[in-house]
Amino acid sequence: MDAQKVDMFIMSNGKFFEPHHIAQIRERLLLMDDNKWGMIQAAPMKDPQTALIISIFLGAYGIDRFYIGDTGLGVGKLLTCGGFAIWTIIDWFGIQKATREKNFEKLQQFLY
Amino acid sequence: MHQKRNKLYLLLFTACFAGYVWLFYNVSTSGTEKSSMEVCLIKNATNIPCPSCGTTRAVVSLVNGDFFEALFLNPFGYIVALIMLLAPIWIVFDLISKKNSLFIFYQKIEKFLVRPKLAILLIFLVLANWIWNISKGL
Repeated sequence: MDAQKVDMFIMSNGKFFEPHHIAQIRERLLLMDDNKWGMIQAAPMKDPQTALIISIFLGAYGIDRFYIGDTGLGVGKLLTCGGFAIWTIIDWFGIQKATREKNFEKLQQFLY
Repeated sequence: MHQKRNKLYLLLFTACFAGYVWLFYNVSTSGTEKSSMEVCLIKNATNIPCPSCGTTRAVVSLVNGDFFEALFLNPFGYIVALIMLLAPIWIVFDLISKKNSLFIFYQKIEKFLVRPKLAILLIFLVLANWIWNISKGL
């Protein structure tokens, strides 16, 4: 794919991914066929900041995990009062990373 | 795939282990005094019980064979008890036979639960349970 297009994608979507994944994403996108561009553009990405806000207010119900698509863990968190409150507090700090990794996983379906 | 499976199994196993320790602590102190420690963040902060408050007490009454009281305290207790019983056995079985049946099952359940019709129903059930919890004053 066109380098300009790829850089544009990286610029506008960089915040959705972990910094150390960016180089890999760029490399794969450059090798990718042009007709997948539409799919990549339409891939639903979750915003880490939104996830953080949800985690702070509704983390004890596991809503943050539901939001990023970790339904199974969300149910686990909901059933245990936010993982005995410990998991809730861990997720206040870890949910942004989890969101970015989940986004990368979603993008990987198109990359490979 | 393999890494994700191991991560999930470790998490589930740790959670079950913590659950059993917590259950043992609660069963051994439930008869003596009525001051069970409360860990729920929401209840400590706002004094309003959360949808899953009372699950510990429900599981404890399940252990004591009081099935009706468990249902009255919190129906979530049944789900938690089922997971705590099944998960460790299933994990050990998977590790011994080198399969990932639990991981595949987990992914299927995840896909199954997010279908809108079912999800809406479940959300309503959780909300209803929450309202019931508040009215019971757990």
